[in-house]
This record gives sequence, C-alpha cells and structure tokens, in this order.
Amino acid sequence: MAADLKFAKTHEWVRPETTGVATVGISSYAVEALTDLVFMQLPAVGKRVKAGESLGEIESVKAVSDVYAPISGEIVEVNTALPGKLETLGQDPYGEGWLVRIKPDDPAELDRLLDRADYDKLVGSQPH
Amino acid sequence: MAGLSTVAVWWDPPADGPTNMAADECLAAEADSTGGLCVRFYGWSQTTISLGGFQGIAEARAVEAIRGLPLVRRPSGGGAIVHGSDLTYAAAVPKSHPWGGTPQVLYDALHGAMVEELAARGVVAWPEEVARVGADFFCFDRRAVGDLVMGAGAAGGAPAKIMGSAQRRLAGVVLQHGSLLLVGNPDLRDDVRHPGIADLPGPRGGIDAEDLSRTWVARIATALGARVSGQAAPFMRGREDRVSELAARFREEWWTARR
Repeated sequence: MAADLKFAKTHEWVRPETTGVATVGISSYAVEALTDLVFMQLPAVGKRVKAGESLGEIESVKAVSDVYAPISGEIVEVNTALPGKLETLGQDPYGEGWLVRIKPDDPAELDRLLDRADYDKLVGSQPH
Repeated sequence: MAGLSTVAVWWDPPADGPTNMAADECLAAEADSTGGLCVRFYGWSQTTISLGGFQGIAEARAVEAIRGLPLVRRPSGGGAIVHGSDLTYAAAVPKSHPWGGTPQVLYDALHGAMVEELAARGVVAWPEEVARVGADFFCFDRRAVGDLVMGAGAAGGAPAKIMGSAQRRLAGVVLQHGSLLLVGNPDLRDDVRHPGIADLPGPRGGIDAEDLSRTWVARIATALGARVSGQAAPFMRGREDRVSELAARFREEWWTARR
C-alpha cells in the first residue's frame, strides 16, 4: 500500500495526484469485510459531492453499503470498468480498483483524513 | 438507555411499507445514539413486496405473481420478500458494537439464536453452509451462508429456506432486515408460494409470532451477555412526525423505481 494515501474513518482512501485531482477508492479492509460483492453503483462525471456524503453504493450478498466521499469536490472521472469487474476491488484495491477521481474544492480537507498508521490502528480496533 | 448491556425491543402494530421502512431508519438512528442493539418487530397492513436495495423495478414489474401487490424498496440488500405471513424484524447496531463489525457476525448471531429457539419448539432448522450465487428475484429462492433452512422442499428435494436477512451498512451503524417465514403466503398462487415452517415436515400446531419474538430476543440477549429491555409502547409512538417525514421518500416513485 502506498504511503501517500489518506483514509476516511468510513474506509475510503484518497491519493492526491500531481495533476491536482484526487483518486478515491475503498480500503482492502472494507473489501474483505463486505465479501462476495455483486453490484456497484458509481456517480456520474460532473456530480458535486460534499465530504461525508454518499457517492455510491456497493452490494454484497448480504449487505448494501454506502461509499462516502472523503473530500468535497467535483467528480471528474469514474472507473466505469469497475462495476463489471468487481473482483478487481479484491485483487488491486489501491490500484486498478479505484472508484472515482475528484477535483477537490479545498485541498486542506485532505489534512483532516487519517494517515496510514492511524488508519491501521482504527482497523485494528474494529470488532470482527 | 441501551448500551452494550441492553437489547432494546419494540413491538409495532401493522403498517404500510413506507411507514415500516421509515421506522427502521429511525431505529438505526436510535442504535447509533444509544450504542446498543435495538430490535423492532412489526407487521404489515396488507401483503406487501419489499424489494432489495439493488433490485430492478422492471424485473419486479415483470413478475406476474405479485402484480397488484404494493411494492416498497428496502434500503437493505438481498432479494424480494412477500410480507404478511412472516415474522419481520429490523435490528440495528453501531459499527463499534461487538456485532457491528463484518456483515456475517450480526447475521450469524441472530440466526444462531433462532436455530436454538426453533429447536426448543421441536423445529429442526440449520444454517445454510454453501451460498448459491445467482440473481433469483425472491429472497427465499436465494441461498447465502447462514440463511436458515429446514425440511424438504415441495419436490421433496433440497431443504427450504425459512429465514433470511440483509443489511444496510451506513457510516456508523448497521441496519439488518430479516424475515422468518411462518407459513406460505395465501395471497400467492401455489406454484410461486414459498413454504413456511407450518408447511414443512415438523411439529404441528403453529407458532405464535409474538411469543416467538419474545423468546428469540431473550436468547439474543443471552448470547450478547445483555438483558432485554422490552418497550411497552410501540417504537413509532413519539416519533410519528419523523417517521412520516422519512416515509414520504419511500412512497415516491423515484425511490421505488430507482433501479
């Protein structure tokens, strides 16, 4: 897992890109916890999201889970191949399994997210 | 009120689908604020189809057997359920709760307690061990690990599913919907009706749904090392305005037809 990732407590990761946008995905912990993913819905390009708002939904055999926007901004790119290849989320959650790219409204919002060490601590304390 | 040491339980009178889904969203908020397991048992004012959160409306409208029955879309996943002859429950726990971690934990805890309770009543049911991946329309045609099955199906073959549950996992709280099929729903034709406990080989005499709910939830509390806090008033009492406000969304065509 790249060290430059930031994490939301709701298990989304964010990677700031040199182009000024931020790539968003969900953590390997979240993917493993959900198990047997069957459907995913992602937002359309151009949609505006606020940090903490739902930006999409994932269905596993037993559960529908919201994916929350870790930062505010405009969706500028969507991984449209992902809903048809959900196994990618398990195989490469921090690479090919990215969900969307967001043009941040306020890059300082990234500073309010967890770094990897703090996220690992959070995950370690979660009930299983 | 609740906390880890308490299981708060409400019994609500029959209501329509949108009202029930709205009340369950309030139940999730209640669990989030109290930190404990909250359970609501409820009925339906008429036979109602609840669709899983991701099921397509076109698929639902193509099922001739349910045409004319009211539809409501659940926030939770899974397949369609024909409510009216089942024991319906909603359970909610914060994700920080010992049963709020991965989806299977809460599923297994509640279903395991039901296996014990049914066994005490002479009904032998057990958790499904192998999932059957597919997109069957009805929940009771699907098989997920932990679903409860019993007896033999109509053809005398595979055991029939009698209990299934599905979750909505929100930012801080898990809402689980579940249904125990007590008897096949008389509003469906024989060829599409799923058998309930009373239709399958086992002890005769029927099961009183409210009595079962009380003894089941006592076993749930025991498994959690908690006590049951049974609420005398219905959950909706005092929450009428909020439930009504949330129910408006579940009545909207855009919500029902959003997939």
